[in-house]
Amino acid sequence: MSSRHAPGAGGPAPRGPLVARSGVAPETSRLYLGGRGCGTMGPPSRETWAQRLGAFRASPSAFMAGPEGEDLGRDLLIELRSEKLSEQTKVSLLALSLEYPAQLWPDAAAAEAAATSLLDTLVLLPPRPSALRRPLLLAATTVLAAGDALGPTSGASRRLLPLLLGLASGRDLGRGFGPASEQRPLQATACECLRELESCKPGLLGDCLGLLRRLLGQEGPVQPLSLLLALALRNALVIRAKAKAGLQGLLVAGDAPTPGGPWNWALAEEGGAHPQPQAPSWPAAEDEECGLAVLEPSPEEARELRAAVAQLLDSSYLLTPVAQAQLLWLLGWALRGLRGQPPVLFKPQLVRLLGTAQLALLHAVLALKAAFGEALFTAQDEALLLRRLTLAAQHPALPLPAHLFYLHCLLSFPENCPLGPAGEEAAPLLLGPRLGRSLLPSLLHDPMALLARLHLLCLLCAEDEEEEKGQGWSPQRYLGELLAGLRQRADLDGGPRALAALCFQASYLVVRCLATQPLVLTPLTHGLAELYRARPALAPHFVDLLDRVGPELGEPLRAVLRQEVVSRAGRDEALRWHLKILAKVADGNAPSATLGFLRAAAAHCTDWGLQQALLRVCRTLMRAGVREGLADLLQALARQLDDPDGRDHARLYYILLAHLAGPKLGVALGPSLAAPALTSSLVAENQGFAAVLMVQEAPAPIRLSVGPRRAAGPGPVLQLQVEVLEPVFSLELRFRVQGQLYAPLDAVHVPCLRPGRPCSPLLLPLQPRLPAPTQLSVRALYATPAGLTCHAHLPPVPVNFEDLFLPFPQAPDDGDKQGFFEELWDSCLPKGAESRLWCPLGPQGLEALVSRHLEPFVVVAQPPTSYHVAIRLPPDSRLLLRLEAAQAGGVPVALRTDHWAVLPLAGDYLRGLSATG
Amino acid sequence: MAQRAVWLISHEPGTPLCGTVRFSRRYPTVEKRARVFNGTSYVPIPEDGPFLKALLFELRLLDDNKDFVESRDSCSHINKTSVYGLVIGGGELWPVVAFLKNNMIYACVPLVEQTLSPHPPLISISGISQSFELLFGIQDFLFLGQKNDTELNTKLNQLPDLFLQACPFGTLLDANLQNSLDSINFASVPHPQKQPAWRVGTYKGKPQVSISITEKVKSMQYDKQDIADTWQVVGAVTCKCDLEGNMPNVTISLSLPTNGSPLQDILVHPCVTSLDSAILTSSSIDTMDDSAFSGPYKFPFTPPLESFNLCYYTSQVPVPPILGFYQMKEEEIQVKITVNLKLHESVKNNFEFCEAHIPFYNRGPITHVECKVSFGQLEVFREKSLLVWIIGQKFPKSMEISLSGTVTFGAKSQEKQPFDEICIGGTAYLKLHFRILDYTLTGCYADQHSVQVFASGKPKISTHRKLISSDYYIWNSKAPAPVTYGSLLL
Repeated sequence: MSSRHAPGAGGPAPRGPLVARSGVAPETSRLYLGGRGCGTMGPPSRETWAQRLGAFRASPSAFMAGPEGEDLGRDLLIELRSEKLSEQTKVSLLALSLEYPAQLWPDAAAAEAAATSLLDTLVLLPPRPSALRRPLLLAATTVLAAGDALGPTSGASRRLLPLLLGLASGRDLGRGFGPASEQRPLQATACECLRELESCKPGLLGDCLGLLRRLLGQEGPVQPLSLLLALALRNALVIRAKAKAGLQGLLVAGDAPTPGGPWNWALAEEGGAHPQPQAPSWPAAEDEECGLAVLEPSPEEARELRAAVAQLLDSSYLLTPVAQAQLLWLLGWALRGLRGQPPVLFKPQLVRLLGTAQLALLHAVLALKAAFGEALFTAQDEALLLRRLTLAAQHPALPLPAHLFYLHCLLSFPENCPLGPAGEEAAPLLLGPRLGRSLLPSLLHDPMALLARLHLLCLLCAEDEEEEKGQGWSPQRYLGELLAGLRQRADLDGGPRALAALCFQASYLVVRCLATQPLVLTPLTHGLAELYRARPALAPHFVDLLDRVGPELGEPLRAVLRQEVVSRAGRDEALRWHLKILAKVADGNAPSATLGFLRAAAAHCTDWGLQQALLRVCRTLMRAGVREGLADLLQALARQLDDPDGRDHARLYYILLAHLAGPKLGVALGPSLAAPALTSSLVAENQGFAAVLMVQEAPAPIRLSVGPRRAAGPGPVLQLQVEVLEPVFSLELRFRVQGQLYAPLDAVHVPCLRPGRPCSPLLLPLQPRLPAPTQLSVRALYATPAGLTCHAHLPPVPVNFEDLFLPFPQAPDDGDKQGFFEELWDSCLPKGAESRLWCPLGPQGLEALVSRHLEPFVVVAQPPTSYHVAIRLPPDSRLLLRLEAAQAGGVPVALRTDHWAVLPLAGDYLRGLSATG
Repeated sequence: MAQRAVWLISHEPGTPLCGTVRFSRRYPTVEKRARVFNGTSYVPIPEDGPFLKALLFELRLLDDNKDFVESRDSCSHINKTSVYGLVIGGGELWPVVAFLKNNMIYACVPLVEQTLSPHPPLISISGISQSFELLFGIQDFLFLGQKNDTELNTKLNQLPDLFLQACPFGTLLDANLQNSLDSINFASVPHPQKQPAWRVGTYKGKPQVSISITEKVKSMQYDKQDIADTWQVVGAVTCKCDLEGNMPNVTISLSLPTNGSPLQDILVHPCVTSLDSAILTSSSIDTMDDSAFSGPYKFPFTPPLESFNLCYYTSQVPVPPILGFYQMKEEEIQVKITVNLKLHESVKNNFEFCEAHIPFYNRGPITHVECKVSFGQLEVFREKSLLVWIIGQKFPKSMEISLSGTVTFGAKSQEKQPFDEICIGGTAYLKLHFRILDYTLTGCYADQHSVQVFASGKPKISTHRKLISSDYYIWNSKAPAPVTYGSLLL
């Protein structure tokens, strides 16, 4: 936690409180003025402050990062007490703290200290009229609420809340709070502050509902009290419902916190300290309905609630239109789903509201419609609402943004009986063709209005599909004419980009809504082709459109555009646009015409950009699988193009085409992720498909494990088990022995592996140069199903000492085994080594141990007590064991070897045997 | 219902940034709620600089919008409302409510009390309409009655204080900012109880009520067999009631003469306390029955202190006041034009002024004009490629006047000559501008004797009427013209 912004929270030893205390809710002042800034440099003047604030507003983050940032918050609080600054300057300082508290006092402690300081400043104001009281109240509220400092443990909160409530209830707070003339505005301000605190901490005023109702009934200012009561009421209902508790006399609880008495935080804490949506969006609010149903108010409580709501609604006419709207949203959603609260309470307001042109009011009526549906709006009411909405959506007296919003409301209208899927824009059933037709687009409309109305027209056309054939002006025909008009405008030479964009947006909208109507799509396709013919510079729009529409328009449009381009001579001024289009639409169809166009165009591709565009078309053709003729073209380009980059590129494509099979070529030429480089496209493109053509590093989808030992044959052989997580082709496993202990190993090849399909074990012959264990590092090279070649490092494979064990082939079958063993035994010395050790035995005993681990190497056996074992260790060593006179816990082993370095390995091995079971 | 931030940006094409933030206000307590409600979809309010850039780009107000930019020009980037998503710092700031008016961009971001992905429908977000009200309110405050830049700057400088009053915490208290300004000034006046929040202070002085009815007539005339001409009257009734008392009650009745055209599509000011259902249902789109309600139209209300629009209406009069045709034929570098205008006999032939403007778009400059008018005089504005036929105060006795002649154009140079996206090829129009005082086309009037005032003292009642033209077009009948669906249904 930074302490620099909290003057009282740290720093140098405080010099003592500078602030005298007086007035309301005494509380230890935590503001100490010390440190830099005030004494040494003198207070900044009005001009300095103006500059400083200007610099801050230009970029708060840059200012706070600069040298002055650190002190701004503290200086501001100090300056508010300065007698040299005018009130107007101080108001502008307070304005800053209203907007940027998080920057000025970034943590809760700093915010708490700042709020305390603001409250101190407030109580220190002389009793004459002052423009600072309101902004100080607003600032203290903002700083506390935005700085996460609001709460029962915060001293500033404990001072601010009773002060605000006192002001809001019009209590006489003494001369310290300014002249009587200021009381009324301060009362309204205090209500607003409380409303904001209640918004940030729902339930905060749960205790004051009765008081607020009384104040509203008496002389209080209607609007602030109404809004405050409505919000507190709504929050209390939601919190109580969530806690599955009743209302418990909440509405009549009359006694607000006594002055100086403790604030009741109970309901706020019940609310979980999270802000509640005041007007939840409709789908999200569905859950809450069930929530409120659990409240089950008693008949008396229900009556009280109804009385409170009626009181608010009756005086709602006195509120400004925006405040009326807020009240209706709050109350509508507060009562939705609450038993015993008939929505009919709202009915007297509706006619008055429906008559107005006020956007917020009509919107609030729509919210009531969504909240209560049929319970408040009969089918006739619904029809009337729709008519008013249709009227408002085109009324010449209303501004365009309002028209657009009403059009949106029409297409998202909360119907009593919706037919279509929820959440999708649709024309409401009761809108009917007559109302709908009054909202059809014309070329004279603003682009946004045109698109909105066009959407409606499309919806009408979609409904009308079967009707009205053969009539003079069906909606479909009108739509066609409109699109033609838009194309004509897009065709204007030198016209703004917006006109072209509008034409394509309209086309896209039509295709999205009417994809199944050939009557619409066929003329659209041909119209677009004509537009391209007239203005090829719109190629980027065509490419964008083709990227986004489905095959209904995409396929025919591709075909006509391809036809349009290839039927031209290759030396058009618009060649670069033609090439751009071809790169999008060229495919395996009629490649000879395309190639013919490209051949002709090549001669005119004189600059780098055009050559690249040409090559991009070649690339598209390669991907589409065109081979015949393309190789010749590429070869010709590799010789003919002026630019070396272009020639290299063509040559590369030629090589790719000549050497890669179809699927691999497709992958190699897939969309390149590399950003285009300015210097050489080849370099840029290389980053894309060089990666494809070259081996790529990848996490291995392969798991290798060592299988059972095979003690046979001339040399040790490792049996490897391979499993794969995805299909792998042409797997090559390369092994490398760490150190020079073994001769280099050959790679192992597997043609194909698939997950879940076992593969026969891979045999890896080892050629040790010393009889020692080691690790093999393993790399895998393989092809993926997508045709990529990948390279992966696998975890190393251990080669254990026992993996090298081989039996003596020359041991006689039935002859003198003992003699053979003794001969080997004797031959080890003197150049070898001898040792004795204790081999612990597990519960299974010697016999089991030998049969599990040493069976192939036993020369002489006298089960269960004595075994003579002879092991050949490549390249040319031997290890002989005598396991005799086994006891319960273990067996003494005598061992000899002709290679002294084997002894410790053998010892470890034997000691480890019982552990491996 | 609250706003996270508000901006006012002047659009300055040709300057490096193409605009300047003239005013901005952020609401940290609302921002804190936004962070909780929006969750992972939360995008913080940016600083002014990045916001300006992103907004101007989205609104196509930057100077370099020549090239195709996918994020703006893509066919799937469809905006049907004045609500935008701005890409800022990798996230999308949504919903940004914004519009351009009088070279000023009004923008704000309302709080959405849920996750933003996917975007909830705008209709379900309470803050959206509050945003519009706030922005319209600022617009009205800045531009109603504003005369010059100095006055605009003064008003811009008043905004911070006004916002402390009208929107201290981001929740709008009153969209009528002038009201807030007055309430600062009236702060010392003790308020009686039960006074409307929209009626700040009281009036002291001679009681008087002033009612003015302004009708605008618009028309689209084609002079074609298969396309119907259209015309419509749009009326606005403006009142200023200087009456003493806290809540004076006034009832104004609008009347029609016996042959008057019924008022339709009536929208009233929120201070109107009750409405006859016949007023509510009289609609130009879909008349419920044949017997249209023809008044009197009664509006009971408690007036605000300032001048206000009591109601708006539309009406369908039987004939357009001036019927005409315009024929234009292109002949190489010159065009041949013929215009004929006829004033309907029922219309008061006493204009404050009457002019026909004949513009030529997408052509070179006018080099030569040879025209004959049967009445009035013709002025040529070469640099604007515009002919203005000044008809004057009265039509001649025949009520019919004409113009004919040829206009020759020079070579086309794109930058200088007027561009129009509608008038392509032969598509062209003439536009009528006229004003008649003390007259309404519908015949609608407010009878002084029918005005009821329940307040102390007998007020002086004054009434005014005027008719003005607005969007009164006569299209060249020799070429295609833009039509609405309505004019096709013969």
